[in-house]
Amino acid sequence: MTGKSMTGAGDNNTPYETEDAFLDRSALARQVVKDTINKVLLGAVLILVLALPAVISSPTWLHIIVLIFFYAYLTTSWNMVGGFAGVLPLGHAVFLGIGAYTSTVLSLQYGISPWFGMFVGGILAVVAGMVIGLPTLKMRGAYFALATIAFAEGVRVMVENIEYLGPFKLNGPRGLQIPPLNIGWADFMFSSKVPYYYIILGLLLIILFLTWTVSRSKLGYYLTAGGEEPEAAQALGVNVSRAKVIAMALSCFFTALAGTFYAQFSLFIHPKSTISLDISFEIAFIALIGGRGSIAGPILGALLLRPVSDLSRIYFGDILPGMHLVIYGVVLILVMIYQPRGLQEPLTRIYDRVVNRMADGFIKGGDK
Amino acid sequence: MIYLIEDTINGILMGSIYGLTALGLTIIFGVLKVINFAHGTLLMVGMYAAYWSVTLSGLHPYLALVIVVPVMYVFGYYLQDIVIKPIFKAEKDVREPSTVIIVTTGVWYVLDNLTLMIFGPQYRSLPDNPLQGKMIELGEMFVSVPKLWGAITAVVTALAVYYFFQKTRTGRAIRACSLDRDAASLSGINQYKIYNMAFGLGTAVAGVAAVTLVPFYNTFPTVGVLFDIKGFIIVVLGGLGSIPGAIIGGIIVGIIESVGPQFMTATWTEAIVYGLFLLVLFVKPSGLFGVKYDW
Amino acid sequence: MNLLELNDVTKQFGGLTAVDKLSLSMEKGEILGVIGPNGAGKSTAFNCIAGVFPPTKGEVIFDGQVINGQKPWDLCKKGIARTFQIVKPFASKSVLYNVTVGAFATTSSRGEAEAKAIDVLKLLNFDDKKDAKSSDLTIADRKRLEIARALATEPRLLLLDEVMAGLRPAEVDEMVEIIRFLREQGITILVIEHIMRAIMALSDRIVVIHFGKKIAEGTPEQVASDENVIKAYLGDEYGVS
Repeated sequence: MTGKSMTGAGDNNTPYETEDAFLDRSALARQVVKDTINKVLLGAVLILVLALPAVISSPTWLHIIVLIFFYAYLTTSWNMVGGFAGVLPLGHAVFLGIGAYTSTVLSLQYGISPWFGMFVGGILAVVAGMVIGLPTLKMRGAYFALATIAFAEGVRVMVENIEYLGPFKLNGPRGLQIPPLNIGWADFMFSSKVPYYYIILGLLLIILFLTWTVSRSKLGYYLTAGGEEPEAAQALGVNVSRAKVIAMALSCFFTALAGTFYAQFSLFIHPKSTISLDISFEIAFIALIGGRGSIAGPILGALLLRPVSDLSRIYFGDILPGMHLVIYGVVLILVMIYQPRGLQEPLTRIYDRVVNRMADGFIKGGDK
Repeated sequence: MIYLIEDTINGILMGSIYGLTALGLTIIFGVLKVINFAHGTLLMVGMYAAYWSVTLSGLHPYLALVIVVPVMYVFGYYLQDIVIKPIFKAEKDVREPSTVIIVTTGVWYVLDNLTLMIFGPQYRSLPDNPLQGKMIELGEMFVSVPKLWGAITAVVTALAVYYFFQKTRTGRAIRACSLDRDAASLSGINQYKIYNMAFGLGTAVAGVAAVTLVPFYNTFPTVGVLFDIKGFIIVVLGGLGSIPGAIIGGIIVGIIESVGPQFMTATWTEAIVYGLFLLVLFVKPSGLFGVKYDW
Repeated sequence: MNLLELNDVTKQFGGLTAVDKLSLSMEKGEILGVIGPNGAGKSTAFNCIAGVFPPTKGEVIFDGQVINGQKPWDLCKKGIARTFQIVKPFASKSVLYNVTVGAFATTSSRGEAEAKAIDVLKLLNFDDKKDAKSSDLTIADRKRLEIARALATEPRLLLLDEVMAGLRPAEVDEMVEIIRFLREQGITILVIEHIMRAIMALSDRIVVIHFGKKIAEGTPEQVASDENVIKAYLGDEYGVS
């Protein structure tokens, strides 16, 4: 607390609480109430989300929600390097593709379980990420961004033009189809959408937890410091490049996991659906609009923008193809001009105000 | 052997045109210190402008320059003024103007998809234009006429731009601004007007490039993407901000693209160009001619 | 043994020699002042020690080890900390966050780092502002934050680059007290400064640099009456002869 006096002596030397002490105590009480409200709300959302499939039986709706979670996962994973490390990866879909192709090729050609393939894909993605990241994360941000685009496009062109990569059949632009033969958890294959829902939800919770942990850890502090004032950070013992590289490795690994999920969910992968620049940009744009560098930003972005994208595709798809992308681009530009920290900033403020009012309501109610 | 020389010559010609497409990018970087991710898209806009100018007026493609160049200049000028300037101002002292990159990427996206929406995805070309498919015979070799015209235009434009920056008052003002913003503005130069002009100039040059391409290269909404990436490759190879670097970098890419298919399939040459880009990035990011920045 | 030694350190930028065969040494627990007219090369020498760039020639020796060309973050681990002339707080973050970043140099646990940061803030009588956003601080407080951050890394040698620039006289006096206090904690301190009364009051010894060369060295009194120093600052007409 502050060094203000907590008690005084009034008439007859009876001790009383000073006004400052009273205010401190009620500020503390307020904080406790707010924290409780936040926890209750979080718990409610968690229960809602866990119970959702019991309420929604339509596979179409489940599909849409699964994709929303999928993008929320991707943007949160992107945020590790695009938000915390402060650089701009614009070719992140390539890691999605690496994950998808690795697990698919391993399972189709060698009968290896997609779960294991998922892990292998993650490792390969990290290696690829290091290849681009190690040299370019030391340089100016624009170079890193360009390198990610060049790498992603280079890989896409390569995959689109070769049948085989060594012994592995990639099938060029026609892609790979996954026949739904073996159903069950061991084979990461289900006939209903519900297990997929829980898997992507699980992944999302994991990546959120990881992001939260990192933000509160030494790595998180170092990344933030290196992003704001690299020279000052270096003088304080922060190896900024190394911190960025670690963040990149984490991001690549987890993005690749989603690639395997996508493969097992849609049962068909080809370069355009996994390694396209459109997907890379969509991920980056959503994270930026929602607010990179924050934990809530990417999810908010996905929750707000994916429905827009799906709706505009449904309603405008034929007359005005690509309308949703135009919307993304325009929103991005507007957000960058007016709210560069993303929409999570004003939204969080509104949320705080609501919670404050609720807290006040509880305290006043308790005083009566 | 003769094919090798023929390919090399055509490679040099096409490369000069690539250099021209990258010239605008290098100008904008040289002055604003901003890597304009929307550059390829601006080129695409120029190509559509050229296409429609020729189709609607029936003129010789190169006469479209009269329409396309001013239109592109104005477009670039106001794009900078309205969309990019506010961010630029906000990020004036920041070491890493990443928001500008984001915004130019957004512009890229919007323009590409808007074009797709308005004009549709079909590939367009000018089948009846006077340059289409013409070849000059040099002994046993065939040299593409539209590419020859394009290469000459590229060199002329590069020289003109160079002269502009070195000899004219406005050009020197722009250079002053690029070297030290605050000092330049203290000398009475309106910084932001200069930036608008520089951006307009870069876009206008892209317009020239577009006009040279339209006679032989297909026009479609995403044509800019490949040029954008190649443009970056060229500019990194030749050095960010260097005018001769852009042309020479372009020629290098052009030769690789032309000669490459002799030794491997064409699609691999595309991948090779990306690989070369990454290699240059890792080994010598300042390029062949560029100034060494504090990367 | 000297904690810090510069042996004939020279730094050239292209054709310009910014630092010319500079030699100096510091004992543990000393406060060494470095003064000189603007552009004399003080900051360049400073940056050579701090690892921003390596000297072109000569050696920088810290605690018996040659540290030429080592990176600032490694030097920090070895015990060298520095502040910046133009303060660089992590603007969007709180004071406590800023100092915690420094504290992480010695531990990987967040709990420990934060506790250490609070200790440092208490030491500098700064803990009441621990939750303030660093961009909201006054310039004097920001300078204090710079020092607090550097202090949290537990340095043995602290390099202060014009830490009093922009402060009012009362704030300068406060800063002098803080630096003296730091020396009492056992830290060796190198101070570059322009504010004469501060550096005269603080330093055990002073080194005067002009055109990249050392032109005088000694106690504050010796240096103040040194003819070369007077000429360097005031011009040739003012030499005492």
